Amino acid sequence: MGTQGGSEAAAAESFYPSDEDIEKWMANAFDMAKDALENGEVPVGCLMVYNDEVVGKGRNEVNETKNATRHAEMVALDQLLDWCRHRDLDVRSVCEQTALYVTVEPCIMCAAALRLLNIPVVVYGCRNERFGGCGSVLEVSSANLPQTGTMFKCVSGHRAEEAVEMLKTFYKQENPNAPNPKTRKD
Amino acid sequence: MEPQMKRWKGSACDTDSWVAYPVLSDDQSQDVELIEAFAAPIVDKKETSRLIRELNSLYPLNGLQHIKRVRACKGKGSPHPLEVLVCLVSDAPDVKDVSIGSLLPSDGVRHDGLGEPFVVKVPVRPPLTRPQFELVSKHWPTSFHEDKQVTVALRGELFSPPQKATMHLYMMSAFTAAEAGKEMGMEAVGAVVVNPATQRIIAVGHDCRGDHPLHHAVMVCIDLVAQSQGGGCYSFDKYPACRFTLSDTDTFKCSVEASSQPYICTGYDLYVTREPCVMCAMALVHSRIGRVFYGTASADGALGTKFKIHSQKDLNHRFEVYKGVLSKQCEDLKSLDSHSRKQRLEDCR
Repeated sequence: MGTQGGSEAAAAESFYPSDEDIEKWMANAFDMAKDALENGEVPVGCLMVYNDEVVGKGRNEVNETKNATRHAEMVALDQLLDWCRHRDLDVRSVCEQTALYVTVEPCIMCAAALRLLNIPVVVYGCRNERFGGCGSVLEVSSANLPQTGTMFKCVSGHRAEEAVEMLKTFYKQENPNAPNPKTRKD
Repeated sequence: MEPQMKRWKGSACDTDSWVAYPVLSDDQSQDVELIEAFAAPIVDKKETSRLIRELNSLYPLNGLQHIKRVRACKGKGSPHPLEVLVCLVSDAPDVKDVSIGSLLPSDGVRHDGLGEPFVVKVPVRPPLTRPQFELVSKHWPTSFHEDKQVTVALRGELFSPPQKATMHLYMMSAFTAAEAGKEMGMEAVGAVVVNPATQRIIAVGHDCRGDHPLHHAVMVCIDLVAQSQGGGCYSFDKYPACRFTLSDTDTFKCSVEASSQPYICTGYDLYVTREPCVMCAMALVHSRIGRVFYGTASADGALGTKFKIHSQKDLNHRFEVYKGVLSKQCEDLKSLDSHSRKQRLEDCR
């Protein structure tokens, strides 16, 4: 296990997005978040990049699927899996060389899913104070969870204010699918 | 589901073999933290109310409102019937020889009626459960707003025998699904979502990670519940043990009231053979699950073992978790799995 962990760490070390990469792919992620906002979904955009190629992208699809786990990252991961399947590539070796670019810090669920798939690097815009799994609510990304894939590195803060503004705009609108708010009975 | 129900009602359903215990928050389950304080005997009982008043104004126990200022010490071999809390040791003036005179400035509290001080321990936080209350009461009396349900649950007596029989059935469905998944080469984990109001099973699922590494049994069930409401995004048709029942509003007359429409897993219970991982536990938060019952703990489990995501501060939804339902059978399933995992590793070598 010791040597395996060492080689994984070394692979992650050599695998690190350049400033140029970050600039380019995050611009793409932000365009997707805007699209989500215009379609009444939570404005989060994300893409997964392998060998300078987008192998998965997604935006939040919770309301249209009635499945609360359909976050942008989960949608993108599904595309990555399909991409591997069509090319008959090994999922693990692709994932180990794939970076995720996302406008908002992945939530606790998505962070665990990224670990389970051995994604080594996550680049995100703003923190996610409500659900963040890379330190804001829980630190899933670097927690000691030997049965939950591998840890990943985070590069945070790129265009953070812009990402926050989009979220604020969304939460000012009403979510038509939410249940009636509970009235307090004091 | 019907034939299976009958079979299990007919056979001796051994609900005495397991006990469901609550998985409480850290605040409720942690050890009590104690700090030192000075107490002194009240030698003249008539002075009691004046002493309390003056001590409260000189040494208010800020943030320690749960602690009683005075305790009765009947039957403790004390010649004085009452003792009063003077101040915390950390509040006391820095003096070598602690005496009632050094603790109380003469212009603040008259010493009349007080004996010499001694050190006691008091709890930093109010006790939240009966075990915590019983522990702190050995040191100094505190107020305790008992949550009766938690007390009963901690004794393992929250669920009546008929309720346990129903829970047994639901977990058996999850167990059977786990076995079906296992036969198809998946990990032996099964899950069932139930609407406790109608006692209907909404979805049954098992681990399907052979096809998709994130299709853990809980994730499968969440999508099956979405399908029962006309949503969902995967097909589990090739797994006959993964199935759902159309939601009540589809089969019965549609209610005009929007609030009666099912909304993701709101109000539903989940039964799963082993403790969910971080991903699945957070997926249940997002899905607004009502309660979760699991059979046995997992190494990286997130509802008690590594995290307690159901009681995590800052999250917008919390739920009750009980563990131990059909614990023996679920434990056997898990060991079956770790055995086959070891086997696979050996095959790889």
